[in-house]
Amino acid sequence: MAQGRRIKSPEGNPFERGKQVRFQFEGRSLQGYDHEPLAVALMAAGVRVFGRSLKYHRPRGPVCLHGHCSGCLMRVNGVANIRTCETPCRSGMVVERQTGWPSAGLDFFRAVDLLSGERLDHHGMFTASSVLNRIAGYVVRKLSGLGAPPTADPQTPVPISRFSSDAVVIGAGAAGLSAAKTLSGCGHNVVLLEAEEHRGGRLLDGATQNGWERIRDFKEEIESVAGIEIHVKTPALAVYPGDTLQVVAGNEGKTFWISARRLIVCTGTYEQIPLFENNDLPGIFGPRAMDRLVCGYSVVPAEPVLVVGERDATLRLAGRLRELNVTLAGVVTTRTEGDALTSLKRKNVEIFQDRRIVRALGGKWLDRVELAHRSSEQSDLVLDCRACVVEAPPAPAYELAHHAGCRVSFSSQSGYLVQVNDEGQTTHGQIFAAGHIAGSDSVDAAAQSGERAGLACALSLKDDAQVRRRLESMQKG
Amino acid sequence: MGRTIVCRCEDVTVEDLNQAFSEGYRDLESLKRYTGFSTGFCQGKCCTAHAARFLSALKGGDDTVADPIRTRPLLHPTPASHFARAVELLDEESK
Amino acid sequence: MRDRAELVIIGGGIVGLSLAYQLARMGMTDVVVLEQGYLCFGASGRNGGGVRQQWSTEENILLAKQSVRMFRQLSREIGHNIWFRQGGYLFLARNAETAAALEKTVKLQNRMGVGTRIISPAAAARLVAGLHTEGIEACSYNSSDGVLFPWPAVWGMASVARQLGVQINTHTRVTGIDVKGREVVKVVTDRGAVATRRVVNAAGAWSWQIARMAGVELPNKPYRHEILVTEPLKPFLEPMLSDLSNGMYFSQTMRGEILGGISDPDEPSSMETGSSFRFLARMCSSMIRLLPRLSRVKILRQWAGYYDETPDGQPILGRVEPLDGFIQLNGFGGHGFMLAPAIGKIAAEWILRKVDHRIFHTYALSRFKHGETRKENFVIG
Ligand SMILES: Cc1cc2nc3c(=O)[nH]c(=O)nc-3n(C[C@H](O)[C@H](O)[C@H](O)COP(=O)(O)OP(=O)(O)OC[C@H]3O[C@@H](n4cnc5c(N)ncnc54)[C@H](O)[C@@H]3O)c2cc1C
Ligand code: FES
Repeated sequence: MAQGRRIKSPEGNPFERGKQVRFQFEGRSLQGYDHEPLAVALMAAGVRVFGRSLKYHRPRGPVCLHGHCSGCLMRVNGVANIRTCETPCRSGMVVERQTGWPSAGLDFFRAVDLLSGERLDHHGMFTASSVLNRIAGYVVRKLSGLGAPPTADPQTPVPISRFSSDAVVIGAGAAGLSAAKTLSGCGHNVVLLEAEEHRGGRLLDGATQNGWERIRDFKEEIESVAGIEIHVKTPALAVYPGDTLQVVAGNEGKTFWISARRLIVCTGTYEQIPLFENNDLPGIFGPRAMDRLVCGYSVVPAEPVLVVGERDATLRLAGRLRELNVTLAGVVTTRTEGDALTSLKRKNVEIFQDRRIVRALGGKWLDRVELAHRSSEQSDLVLDCRACVVEAPPAPAYELAHHAGCRVSFSSQSGYLVQVNDEGQTTHGQIFAAGHIAGSDSVDAAAQSGERAGLACALSLKDDAQVRRRLESMQKG
Repeated sequence: MGRTIVCRCEDVTVEDLNQAFSEGYRDLESLKRYTGFSTGFCQGKCCTAHAARFLSALKGGDDTVADPIRTRPLLHPTPASHFARAVELLDEESK
Repeated sequence: MRDRAELVIIGGGIVGLSLAYQLARMGMTDVVVLEQGYLCFGASGRNGGGVRQQWSTEENILLAKQSVRMFRQLSREIGHNIWFRQGGYLFLARNAETAAALEKTVKLQNRMGVGTRIISPAAAARLVAGLHTEGIEACSYNSSDGVLFPWPAVWGMASVARQLGVQINTHTRVTGIDVKGREVVKVVTDRGAVATRRVVNAAGAWSWQIARMAGVELPNKPYRHEILVTEPLKPFLEPMLSDLSNGMYFSQTMRGEILGGISDPDEPSSMETGSSFRFLARMCSSMIRLLPRLSRVKILRQWAGYYDETPDGQPILGRVEPLDGFIQLNGFGGHGFMLAPAIGKIAAEWILRKVDHRIFHTYALSRFKHGETRKENFVIG
């Protein structure tokens, strides 16, 4: 089992790990750190297959590292389906894989995948005879389910904190932070909800290094403004429309039920893996996942790493990986110019131009990647790599706004965007949206749209000539 | 078997989407139900946009076909014990 | 779209499709089904898939019994697996009055050949590991009740009916019904009209609107009913559980999810299908009370659909005065899915071969005028 590699944590890293702890993984004692997610400690220890998919029993492993996907689910302390990427290591924890027979590593039911041809039609399955149908029902039921029911003691109902607020801001990325700051600066009380342990959103991406400094600045600023109540590790779960909006959020020990006069949704995007053959093989990550893993948590899951992408941020990540002495298999890009590309060339990173990824190969973990010329379906180049970073079109996290009935529109280019007017107001008058879910394409644009939505939201709560002037001058600018 | 996975929670492939489309399931809500994408643990965070793009492409690049699937709470899977006590508050408020 | 048909069915839910499917199998294929949304848009795509024979009226027991027999064959017939699992239904009574009512209905069910038994709370706890039996007076259990996946039943019936020649038009909304004298002549939609002499109103919670287009007033009212689903877990719950004190029910699906809902006495009649926090809270609280091991089970999603409710909780079936050829198959409240196979079969025989059935008399609309209603008091959710 090839181990992941731990590297030194750089200065100023908000993800600095704490003291060593030991936890149990399927009878072995493994080492992790305080504040380090289990998924990261497991990858560092060389655990690669985290589970198996339900239908074809294909190997699954962490993908997004931001608490969105289902790749890293395991059984923790007797409870199934815990996202190990957002569960910090604690001493004495008992962690197990929950799918696959006899184990997730060696799963005989993988045969389903290998033998079932192009498609396994679960609708027509076992309908040839009624007797067969009943027997199949019995067997299939035994195989169903993600993990066994909880064996931990029943949990006493979690206390609920019920209160009202002028405004709730969801998401503490660049947009949410500046929206909250602006609103409270205008004299309104604000509750800021953040799903992750750290605020910052994209500012936490290590490859854009000034992000970390900006978070520190923001943090100081925010802490200096009165009237913002911040809850981290507290994802908003639902927005129920009504005379006043009902926002429900929760963390491990408490549920929040907030009546909000206004809401600003700044939930950013979900990172996706693009569509190519075997795109689900463990070892394939999006740029932000790899960034978090290497730059944030200081663990290199496997090497060499191939980076595939066009965006500046992706190319910068490749450069950053090189600086951190991560072995690169190269960079695949259609870009021909730009600072990020020049700097990669200067660092002697091999560039594969005009190609795209058509297929990933490997058993339980990525082994190699096949590339084809842009204009062709046929692969003409095979690269050995044990990890691959590949970017995909965006998928904004529009759901919460949509719960409340805000109109959302689709375009192939941007995914689902929450419709907003010039001031960030959605089609639901009491709800505003800012940042990537409203179409911003950079951290700076997101911060600006957050400020604008904050001002417009403040104005809608209370008319104020000064605020109006600020908003107007922003619109002109 | 080489597969292009659209929805990794539920193992829905590009072939599944094509097949469903050819059987006449040509709107996103039907495609979702017939193939199962977006019904998994992540509730579509990692697949809905892919499926929408795919449908739009199948319809010759018509983005209007991909009106969003009706979004429902919860955004993240959360234990039942986190909501049970709201009943006490509901009772108080109705008094 | 065809511009004329022998019969037009309004509503592509399980009731309308079950009728279309049976008619087609009996040879009548000059039939057009009109559905405003996608298949599964209405209650038939939003329900819990519960199938039980524990009812308090003879008609419902008969229909449910026949439907169970049909569901056992349906996957094969329609080439779509509905994953019908007969894990039983367990009703729980929390006071003496409900317990007595349970006993009475069980006697009726037994007389009609359904093997329901009254069992003690201790026996119930042996069926359901971890059941919290405090406060439970008595239980009734029938092992041949069960749960299924509704969607494939809808798709399968539609696809067979289509193969046989029925035309099913989705995304086609009925906007009017033309009537001449005592006769229906035409159904108008947003995508054209269909001339016909016979129309079936199987529009579920929208049935009152459709009836009004033909000048008929139905007493049906739509009510939102909410439901939720949890993460899928390995099988640990055999029967559907239903708490009669608050109308809460849940079962484990073939995929392993816990799926269930609860009635809300304060829910007003409306055409609202949003989700509410009130439902989430009430459901979580009562499911944990009954089965504390669910406390750590994660809720994945909540949604809502309509119940199409009549004043006595029974459907409206058959002809209405003064129109010939305007047939009602609606008002199924929270149990139309489980009765649909039998309803489709009986209605098809009645329409095509004029085979009469008692349900067209007991459940005729005219019963409300004549005061001949008998309430089904075993309505859950
Ligand atoms: C949450 C929930 C849980 C339930 N649980 C169960 C259960 O466990 N077991 C059970 O047996 N039943 C259950 N039910 C009830 C069951 O789902 C319904 O009784 C059954 O589906 C009714 O079928 P239907 O075909 O009459 O109505 P629907 O499925 O609602 O079909 C009617 C169709 O008519 C269409 N329509 C309406 N107006 C127009 C128009 N103008 N033009 C064209 N088309 C139109 C609608 O779009 C709709 O698709 C439940 C219902 C809900 C909401
Ligand atoms: S990837 Fe489709 S539901 Fe999770």
